[in-house]
Parts: sequence; C-alpha cells; structure tokens
Amino acid sequence: MARYRPYFTLYLGSMDKQYDLVIVGSGPAGATVGRFAAQAGLKVLIIDKRQELGAPIQCSGAVSRHALEEVGITPNAEFIQEPIYGFGIYNQIGDCTTIDYRQLKGDEYGPEKGKKPLGYVVDRRRFDRYLMTMAERAGAIVWLKTEGLGYAATGNGHCDVQMRRFNEFLTIRTRILVGADGLQSQVGKWAGLRTHIKITELASCLQYVVDQVETEGLLEIITGHEWAPGGYAWVFPKGHGYAEIGLGVIPTMTQQNAQWHLKKFMEQSFFQKRFKNARILEIQGGGVPLASPLRVQFADNLILVGDAARHVNPITGGGIHTALSGGYIAASFLIDFLQEDRDASAKNMEGYQEQWLAALGNKMWKLHGIKTKIFHNQNIVERDQQLYATMSDYFSPHSEYKKI
Amino acid sequence: MTKKIPVLFSVGWNACINCGACVAICPQEAGFISPFDTIAVDRPCDIACMLCEAICPVTTITHELAPLKTN
Ligand SMILES: Cc1cc2nc3c(=O)[nH]c(=O)nc-3n(C[C@H](O)[C@H](O)[C@H](O)COP(=O)(O)OP(=O)(O)OC[C@H]3O[C@@H](n4cnc5c(N)ncnc54)[C@H](O)[C@@H]3O)c2cc1C
Ligand code: SF4
Ligand code: SF4
Repeated sequence: MARYRPYFTLYLGSMDKQYDLVIVGSGPAGATVGRFAAQAGLKVLIIDKRQELGAPIQCSGAVSRHALEEVGITPNAEFIQEPIYGFGIYNQIGDCTTIDYRQLKGDEYGPEKGKKPLGYVVDRRRFDRYLMTMAERAGAIVWLKTEGLGYAATGNGHCDVQMRRFNEFLTIRTRILVGADGLQSQVGKWAGLRTHIKITELASCLQYVVDQVETEGLLEIITGHEWAPGGYAWVFPKGHGYAEIGLGVIPTMTQQNAQWHLKKFMEQSFFQKRFKNARILEIQGGGVPLASPLRVQFADNLILVGDAARHVNPITGGGIHTALSGGYIAASFLIDFLQEDRDASAKNMEGYQEQWLAALGNKMWKLHGIKTKIFHNQNIVERDQQLYATMSDYFSPHSEYKKI
Repeated sequence: MTKKIPVLFSVGWNACINCGACVAICPQEAGFISPFDTIAVDRPCDIACMLCEAICPVTTITHELAPLKTN
C-alpha cells in the first residue's frame, strides 16, 4: 500500500535507550525532579504526551514566592501574570477577612522598589515550559508528544518503560521510573498502587478568565454551601486587567454541575454588581482533589510525585507548591539512592515516602483531618462557619500550615 | 448508583473542555482513556459506577447500555 512519506523528518533529538531516570510528565513535579537529578549528573529522560505543556490549562496558577524560591526558581516575567499581596476570605453573605501583607508588613511587601510580593498568579502554559527549559538546561532530555504506556521490571535492577512518540512505539530502559503524570495518573495504576480517589473528595471545577472585573492584588476565596457546595469559589487577578472567576463543587453535595453553580455565583451572589459586565475570555476546568496523599507512593523501581501521589493541600486544593517541593525531595532521595547503587526494590524505595512525610506529608495528613471533620458536619450553617474560619485561619500570617 | 450492565459512553465534544476530571475519578484499569484525554468511548465499561458522568463540570458525558457479552 502506498503510504504518505513526510517530506522531511522532524528532528527528534537524542535517541539513547537507557537512562538513570525516566520521568513521565513534565508538570511542576516532573520538571523539578528532572532538573535537580540532571544537575547532580544523573542521566534523565522526561516525557510528556502534550504538544504544549500546561495546555489546555487545568489550573488557576496561584503560587507563593517562597514556593518558587525554595526550589531555585527566580520569579520571571515570562510566566508571571500578576503579583499577589494577600487574601480576601469571604463567608456566604460577603463578610470578608482581609489579609493584606501590604498593610500587615508594609515595609516588606508591596509593589514598590525594594519590596516584594507574597506570591504570583502564573500562566501555566509559560510556567511549565519555563520549568521544562530549566530541566533541559541542567542536562535532562525532554520528549514531548510522547505518551507513557506501561512499565515492567527487568529483574536486573532496571525497568523497561513502554511509550509512544509521534506514533512510534519505543521501549526505554531505566533504573527508576518517576510517575509525575498528574491527577489522571496512569503510572500508579501500572504499578497496582491504590490511586483511586473518592467522589466525595474530588471537586469538579470550572473557571472563566474574564475582562471587566476589577481585582486588587488579592486572592479572593468565597466559602459557603450556597455558592460552592463541598468546595469554594474564587476570584483571582490574572494580569492585564483580567480576572479569573471559578469554583469547585463536590458532585455528591449538589444536583447541579459546576457550570450551573458558576452561573449562579456570577449572577446572584453578593458580587453580582461587580461581575455585571464580565466578558469571558477563556474557559477552563479540572478536578481538584480535597483529599489525603496516597498511602503508598512507591513500588519496585518506581516512585510517584506531585498530583500523581496526591501531594495536594486538602483544604485549598493547591498543588503547585507541593509538586515543586515534592519534586525536590524526590530528586534528593534518588540522587543519594542511585549513588549508593542499592537495589530498587519497593522496600528500598520506601525511604522516599518517609522523607516526604517528614518534610511535608505529615502536615498534609493533619490538614486532611481538619477538612474531613468540617465536611462530616451535616449542619450546613455550622459547616459554613467552620470552613470560613478555617480558611481565614489557614491564610493568616500565623498559620502553622503557611508553608504548604 | 452502581449499574450491573456495562455501559458505553459518549462525550459531547462540543461542550467538553478537556479538563481531565472524568479520567481522574475513574477507577478503571490503566489506559481506559480516549485520545482526547477523556474516559474511553470506544469500548464498554463494565464497572459502570457512573462517577465520570457525575464529576464532569459541563455534564457532557452520556451513556447507553452495552449488550452483555455472551460467550
Ligand atoms: C481548576 C484547577 C485550579 C487549580 N488552581 C491551583 C492554584 O491556583 N494553585 C495551585 O497551587 N494549584 C492549583 N491547582 C492544582 C495544580 O494544578 C496541580 O496540583 C499541579 O498541576 C500538579 O502538578 P504535577 O506536576 O503533579 O502534575 P500536572 O501539572 O498535572 O502535570 C502532569 C503532566 O503529565 C503529563 N502526562 C500525563 N499522563 C502522561 C502519560 N501517560 N505520558 C506522558 N505524559 C503524561 C501531562 O501531559 C502533564 O503535562 C488547580 C487545579 C485545578 C484543576
Ligand atoms: S463508569 Fe466509572 S469506571 Fe466506568 S468509565 Fe465512568 S468512572 Fe470509569
Ligand atoms: S470531565 Fe467532561 S469536560 Fe472534563 S474532560 Fe471529561 S468529558 Fe470533557
């Protein structure tokens, strides 16, 4: 049969078949593991099935400055949409707890020269590409349009990862496979790990980037069963005078979908005047886990990191910071581990999870306990009050969880 | 909510926003995914827990009952 032959072949870069690390997924977690591991001299391959990282966007992009700097990312205009200086937490009738660092610590935080922001809203398309570039510059190989399909241990301290790259099936050998493939993670399933998330713990989210809605450099969070049953609504600054309005709902707590709730929030809430002229510029969504981390995040020759290991904040659903710092922890563990040349059995990989629990995970479990207690309360009025108080407390400068 | 009869899903692509929530909630084995990053639409699901339909923010997944295999 006559087949179409391309006039030229795409330059696909390195074709090595053996690596120290193969990382599935180049989001914040995977790119961070890859960058630190390559920096330490490991031979790293990162694959991602997308053609453009971060797109379509499934994220609002709020991240603290601390979270970036902690893992050596200098805030850069390439990915920043808008600097953030604090929070506004609302209850269902519009009472607001404002935590504005421009007022609380005016000598440190602000837009003026010599002062700094508390955090940023980043464009995930540009942010993820930036992190991938950092990994590449550190020496990692990145293949886009490459989907991981499965893996098998070879029994000699390695494993074979099956993948498809521009329609071509390949098998690449590696010492360790890192599953950084996000919330829809398949890598954990390959290893038979218990990755399933409860429907009561996954918020169905929809968000609109809009024109003609004013913001003031604050992340605004609106609580209340009335607006977002099981979750919360938000208004974030998006740069260029744009804003993002979004919400997440728990499907078992409502008969309606997120789209219906978002319309209701925009048209009927105490913000109806503010949103009156809103014009939709982008439509995005996703699932946000308000859940605990996976109990087991490792297997033979394999670890999971980021959303794939459910490294997310169970109260806010935020996962960029935890993906970045989890990525750093994973890389540090793997660098030491591979230097010692130990057998990559599940038993020996457990050390990763122990390090992660000590640094981050135990606090996440604690937050999950707080969250579960709130949502187990069947009294909606009380639950609304508790969620409002917890959110306000969480974002306060004195919160013990500030760094998650 | 569980149905015993396998179901075949279809996704209304016009409304789908490629958010991945249906895949995130799905307890099926690895690879039960469409080329557009939704749950698979080319083969029946025998778990039929319907969570994918429930999580979809724009309610664009529908199903029909798939005939039970007789062999
Ligand atoms: C609506 C919404 C709003 C959010 N807002 C915020 C926020 O404001 N702040 C915050 O901190 N967090 C937020 N989050 C959470 C945040 O987006 C995630 O926690 C974060 O992206 C996790 O990073 P990750 O690297 O683990 O995974 P991801 O960013 O999901 O990256 C996974 C990568 O793996 C790739 N991949 C998947 N499967 C395969 C495969 N088989 N083969 C190859 N590649 C594969 C994907 O293409 C993707 O690039 C939000 C989430 C949603 C849904
Ligand atoms: S019914 Fe359940 S198992 Fe089947 S595709 Fe939907 S979520 Fe997955
Ligand atoms: S949950 Fe709905 S909108 Fe999201 S990817 Fe699946 S079918 Fe599309």
